[in-house]
Amino acid sequence: MLWHIVQRELFQQLSSLRFVLATVLIVLLMIVNAIGHIHQYKTQQIEYRRQVSASLERLQRNSNNLYTLVVRGPGGLNKQPSKLSFCAQGSENHLPPSVFGWSAGWGKDLNIEGTLYKVSGLWRLQYGTSPPITGTDIFPTFLKIDWTLIISIVLSFVALVFTFDAVSGELERGTLRLTLSNSIARGTLLVGKFLSTLISLGVALLSGILINLLLLHLSGTLQLNGEEWIRIGGIFAVSLIYLSLFSALGLLVSSLVERSATSLVMLLLIWIIWVVLIPATLGTILSGLNLPQANRDYSELRSAQLKEITERYEARGLYNKAPTRARPPTPATLLWAKFLNEEAQANRGLNKEFLTARIYQIQVARNFNRVSPAAIAQYVIESFAGTGFQRHLNFLKNAENYAKEFNNFLISADRADSDSPHVPFVREGMSDKPVPFESIPKFQDGVRLERIFEGATLDMGLLLLFFTVLFASAHVSFQSKEI
Amino acid sequence: MFGTLIQHEILTNLMTFRFFAAVIACVVLVLATTIALTDNYERRLASYNAALQAHHQKNFSAQTYSGFSPRLERPPNPLSLFNQGLDKRAANSILIRRDKVPSLWDDNYHSAGFDNPFRHLLATIDIVSIFQILLSLLALVFAYDAIAGEREDGTLRLILVNPVGRGLFVLAKYLGAMLCLILPILMSFLLALLLQLQSPAIHYSPGDFLRIGGMFLTTIVYVSTFYLIGLLISSMSRHTGTSLIVSLFIWVVLMLICPNVSLFLVNRFIETEERLEQANREIAQIMERFQREKQELRNPFEWPFLLKGSWSGTSISKNVTYIEAESESEISTVKAYYQELEPRRIRAAKAVWLVRKQAYSETFGRKSTTARNALRLSPTGLYYLATSAYAGTDLVAMEAFFKAARQYQQTILDYFYDKKAFGSRQWFASDKEVVRWRDVPRFSYQPLGGLEDASSRAFRELLQFFLLNIVLFILTLVIFSRQDV
Repeated sequence: MLWHIVQRELFQQLSSLRFVLATVLIVLLMIVNAIGHIHQYKTQQIEYRRQVSASLERLQRNSNNLYTLVVRGPGGLNKQPSKLSFCAQGSENHLPPSVFGWSAGWGKDLNIEGTLYKVSGLWRLQYGTSPPITGTDIFPTFLKIDWTLIISIVLSFVALVFTFDAVSGELERGTLRLTLSNSIARGTLLVGKFLSTLISLGVALLSGILINLLLLHLSGTLQLNGEEWIRIGGIFAVSLIYLSLFSALGLLVSSLVERSATSLVMLLLIWIIWVVLIPATLGTILSGLNLPQANRDYSELRSAQLKEITERYEARGLYNKAPTRARPPTPATLLWAKFLNEEAQANRGLNKEFLTARIYQIQVARNFNRVSPAAIAQYVIESFAGTGFQRHLNFLKNAENYAKEFNNFLISADRADSDSPHVPFVREGMSDKPVPFESIPKFQDGVRLERIFEGATLDMGLLLLFFTVLFASAHVSFQSKEI
Repeated sequence: MFGTLIQHEILTNLMTFRFFAAVIACVVLVLATTIALTDNYERRLASYNAALQAHHQKNFSAQTYSGFSPRLERPPNPLSLFNQGLDKRAANSILIRRDKVPSLWDDNYHSAGFDNPFRHLLATIDIVSIFQILLSLLALVFAYDAIAGEREDGTLRLILVNPVGRGLFVLAKYLGAMLCLILPILMSFLLALLLQLQSPAIHYSPGDFLRIGGMFLTTIVYVSTFYLIGLLISSMSRHTGTSLIVSLFIWVVLMLICPNVSLFLVNRFIETEERLEQANREIAQIMERFQREKQELRNPFEWPFLLKGSWSGTSISKNVTYIEAESESEISTVKAYYQELEPRRIRAAKAVWLVRKQAYSETFGRKSTTARNALRLSPTGLYYLATSAYAGTDLVAMEAFFKAARQYQQTILDYFYDKKAFGSRQWFASDKEVVRWRDVPRFSYQPLGGLEDASSRAFRELLQFFLLNIVLFILTLVIFSRQDV
């Protein structure tokens, strides 16, 4: 019986004007997305490879002396662009594309006992600011033409347009009474309507996705491995959950009110507020409550910190004697090493604190945004596509781990040299021999599938919860409806 | 008869659920947003004032001429509550240096208050974008059954039996609906203004009120455009159902798809990389030449140091606080060094600026102009452009600040030349005398204001809006008068 209803409803849906319009719209958007991506993908990949090889070249140049690596660091650590960025742009062009493992940015020429002693800070991770304005982004492009836009905004709208008259329309035309005069349970009818809507939405989305992937495949930009296909499958699954939520909402409102015009107006208002306005306002308002320290204060803090540490060590006689290569190390060598390490340590702490405050602000805003299913869907699709904020946090973690690995390598490379006094990280206390380039650890960025699922589980659960509540209320209100 | 028709139209529109729901939604949203944005503005203003205070002391605390590097602040614009445009996006703090000419395109790193590198992940909203989304939809919901509905009910035939021309009938429909639609706009504007004026931080001048009036007018024209689009569709369709579905899809296309697709395409297909790289190469050459020139001169602050004493500073600013008597004879050499070096540094900076200026206008400038023209293709884009011009948050208004900063930089350089500062002892040393900044020119910046200026920038968009309205109206009329009732 259920299958019979689904068949009938589906036939009606698929032959309607709205289905045709929606499918055409989605296919067109998918084509625009594919064309844009083909173009962007090449420049993105070229740029990434250029940056990586520039970093490696720099590393090789600096590997002629272990101490040079200590001062100059590993260079820029670049974020690997996702192959699936056509699914979700994830504001990638607003996020810093790399962090910098560069020199400290301070150095001194000292006159100690009549000779010049040059000293500079140890390398450290520096987190970039957002990229500058570059032309089109002076306009509010809060939406990018990608799968996220098509699914979370356009298709949710289409789902409501498909369902707004599902019950109230039949009631107006009087066909509902006819249908129910057969021995059909109301629950079965509702499930039938729901399934047929979901299937037709799925058909519209799938045809868009297939054309999109076909275009990308023909242009040769689509070279995905098994894992990436699983991620695309994940995106499709999330979309279906998301769209069932909106179908259930449409059915709920449609069975609550008497007239389909009222139902539509109510649904449109709910949609505008829930899908468009809440993600745009709520987060901003609430993130205004915990403002992090301004950049400016931070740079003042940084120079004050350097000054404080320098003065403290100056009082202990830092500037009286320069370090030497003598073995066992002289007190001056040990003091200088201690000073340099402490300064680098303190600065790392400050950089980290600065970053954490900013991440926290965004995370609070994102958590509040989860009131809106559109925001949730966006976050999940982004994490499946390997773009966006969550991915950026992963990248930052990768970079931090690499920084530790790099420093450990420096220490172990110094241990391997028997001529060194082994006092890291002051020049005189360390090996001054070249390091084999191959032995230096290289930065490798990437996403792991299990980490994606870890992050997406909660959001998918939330979407399912929304759906269950909405569908259950639709069921109740349809059961108790006077016909 | 005409009057009766309008009256009838107003009454049937006012008594509906959709009108009630939309007015409530519009007013509540505008109020909530205004409260949030006013709070946000107060914070930004407080942050601006704090920065101004801090920099006022710091800017003129340099003890030597070379240490002078003032920071300039751009005040937040209260009209950004209506359309925020670039007000939060563009840099609001510029460091004036001798060796760099400030420009909008590369100086956005410093923003007071909201300088989170991830802040662009959060979409932000303003009053205009609420109108943009909500009122356009409301206009379509009003219009979809205006003609098709009467035709379905059979009332159209009844009305046209009376001696009413079809043109008059359409006009009455239009006027009646517009009078109803103006109500939520007016209420929202007035409530928003009332709330904003409660805040001690916001003061509007009469000119500002006129500009708000300009935005009000633009909003009405915008809503009218959407109503006419709906009316056109309604006059073409047999059934209200069809008319509604088509209207909604057109709305999605005009609202979401059109502006985004055009910006997306402009962004993808205008290349900037190559031109910028070329400019960078030219700049590198200029800088190399300057470095060569610099190396020919003997830097007194490089080992072996010429002066015995103590000093601090960076590569371009020096402050010698103590010189031993035996080094006193070397002072004239140091003076000559700077007398020679600084004009060259400034010349190099100017040459670099000319290259950058050209490159920026060919890349980012061109991109933004093309994007602007592409946005004009949709009423949504037109509305955004016109209101941002009225609010003074568009690109032109932002550039005005950088222009003022560039002028100020030039004034400072002229001041140095006047004072013969480069060849003076106070350029690098404060041991004898500290520089008193009594007669140095101060920076003053008047945000681009005035109704005339704003209107002239919004003129093209408004004209286009009016033309669009007229064309849509005539089209509706023609189609409607050729149809059977």
